[in-house]
Amino acid sequence: MSFRLSRALAVYRKDLLDLRKNRALLWSMLALPLVIVVTPLGIVWAYVRNPTDPGLKAIALYYDLTVDLTNVARFLIDKVLADWFVIYLVMPVFVPILISSHAVAGEKEKRTLEPLLASPVTPLELVVGKSLASLVPSVLICTLAFVLLCVGVDVVAWPVAKSLVLPNGMWLFGVFVIAPLFAFFGNGVAVLISARVGDSRLAQQLAGLMVLPLVGLAAGQFGGWLKAGPSYYAVIGGVVLLLDLAIIVAARRLFDRERLMTRWG
Amino acid sequence: MQGIRVEGLKKCFGARTAVEGLSFEVAPGEVFGLLGPNGAGKTTTVRMLTGLLAPTAGRASLCGVELPLRSDDDGVTLRRRVGLLTEQPGLYDRLSIRENLEFFMRLNEVDEVQAWKLAHALLERFDLAGREDEPVGGFSKGMRQKLAIVRALVHSPEVVFLDEPTSGLDPQSGRVVRDAIAELAREGRTMVLCSHNLHEVERLCARVAVIKNTLRSVASLTELRREGLALDVMVEGEAAAWVKALERLPFTVGHQLDGSRLRVLLDREAQSPDVIACLVQAGARVHSAHRAARPLEEAYLDLVREAGDAS
Ligand SMILES: Nc1ncnc2c1ncn2[C@@H]1O[C@H](COP(=O)(O)OP(=O)(O)OP(=O)(O)O)[C@@H](O)[C@H]1O
Ligand SMILES: [Mg+2]
Repeated sequence: MSFRLSRALAVYRKDLLDLRKNRALLWSMLALPLVIVVTPLGIVWAYVRNPTDPGLKAIALYYDLTVDLTNVARFLIDKVLADWFVIYLVMPVFVPILISSHAVAGEKEKRTLEPLLASPVTPLELVVGKSLASLVPSVLICTLAFVLLCVGVDVVAWPVAKSLVLPNGMWLFGVFVIAPLFAFFGNGVAVLISARVGDSRLAQQLAGLMVLPLVGLAAGQFGGWLKAGPSYYAVIGGVVLLLDLAIIVAARRLFDRERLMTRWG
Repeated sequence: MQGIRVEGLKKCFGARTAVEGLSFEVAPGEVFGLLGPNGAGKTTTVRMLTGLLAPTAGRASLCGVELPLRSDDDGVTLRRRVGLLTEQPGLYDRLSIRENLEFFMRLNEVDEVQAWKLAHALLERFDLAGREDEPVGGFSKGMRQKLAIVRALVHSPEVVFLDEPTSGLDPQSGRVVRDAIAELAREGRTMVLCSHNLHEVERLCARVAVIKNTLRSVASLTELRREGLALDVMVEGEAAAWVKALERLPFTVGHQLDGSRLRVLLDREAQSPDVIACLVQAGARVHSAHRAARPLEEAYLDLVREAGDAS
């Protein structure tokens, strides 16, 4: 199959332009990062407000009996941040899902797919262009959210920590290695589903189910069943890497004009 | 410039055969009509010829490209040389005219300066000039249709397929579009026009293929009209009395009754004397008989009528 970067980039530019003009989608894309940045700040602030609260000691001891009891607030801040990364990961999965379900199923909904496929663009160029148009803004948003989170946490936690809490090694690895793997996964699932269903809302809902395992993991961590940390996230990253490879294999079935044209359900 | 040659093209969707047995040729610079009722397979045919659907059987060649497509080139050569106006305009509503057209220019990798010259001329002609920067979502149905036509032409295709180009247009815009099509043909572009509207085809095309899941006829419009030959016979009294005599003729003819006027539908001109002789023999007093060309519409309806439900 032939591949011309210029045509893939034309698709990418068109989709970005369309995204910029889609106010409703932009707002729904921004709501999630907002929640993901503000919520941990609230929790950290609760710990910092009264660091010697005996209740905090009890919570810390629940998670770790060997905790240093002279500074439980710091322990809890580090713990919530390590746990929160799994929630942060919802963002790199979900934002590309929002964008790509629109971008792929939208072409069917608006009947623009046929003129598009009648042009020299190949399905591979189309999928690459559309994926870029979804991944680039998603990674930007996730990075920006991470920067805001670092600044926010450091400001709020300063009275207790007296040093920078974020960024730390685990978060840096997570944001720049694991999160892009998740974004690739979210985008891939959304592209695959929306190429089949041709209805952007349904595609979004189906692909959105992909965040459920993350919610399950978070519940396990907060319940104390699972211990979040670098090796824990490395394992999750490895699993998603395998899923990404599976998506690439599955996506090869997409690269057929007729299949794209005639699949309506 | 090369035209189009189609041989035994067929397309099935699962068990259903959408269209089969299509064979026709279109000369370079010709405006050719694909005429047929709803569901006849016009859109399916156009999709096969533009490389969107792979034919189940048969072959075709257009602009020097053979169908079925060879897998290595993925139809890029074909797509660069053909333009397609799809049934639905399919425009990006949030984007402006300029952005919509620019996108397709880039996909076709054409020289944008040249392409814009052509595009501006067409926009001017279609009364869309001056609105290049408005989002097309706010445009009327006709404006969208006209813009879609411009988009199908921005890469100066050799062969242009127009699937119902004037649907949704008011009479004046319809005429502007028809004039534009005629002019593009004069420039040497080959055009294939799908329609179920006979009058549109009549105005633009010299030759048509009448299809209804199979090829019913490929003919020039003059031939089609001649196929619609009829003889108007005025007889004394009620014409119905003489109809029985016609049924004894060795060839089959249709007929329509209107008081003392009997319209006999013929296959060939040479049958007229036989019809008159037959009526006279049966005792009819024939006052006058003259040949009437049946309206084209009837010839067309006859062609697309199912064998089983012929009247
Ligand atoms: N993707 C598809 N899957 C299954 N059947 C299809 C598909 N596309 C077309 N058909 C069938 O093929 C037949 C021909 O359809 P087509 O759209 O080519 O007709 P048409 O002549 O363009 O009709 P119209 O004048 O209504 O546009 C129809 O019976 C239709 O149901
Ligand atoms: Mg059609």
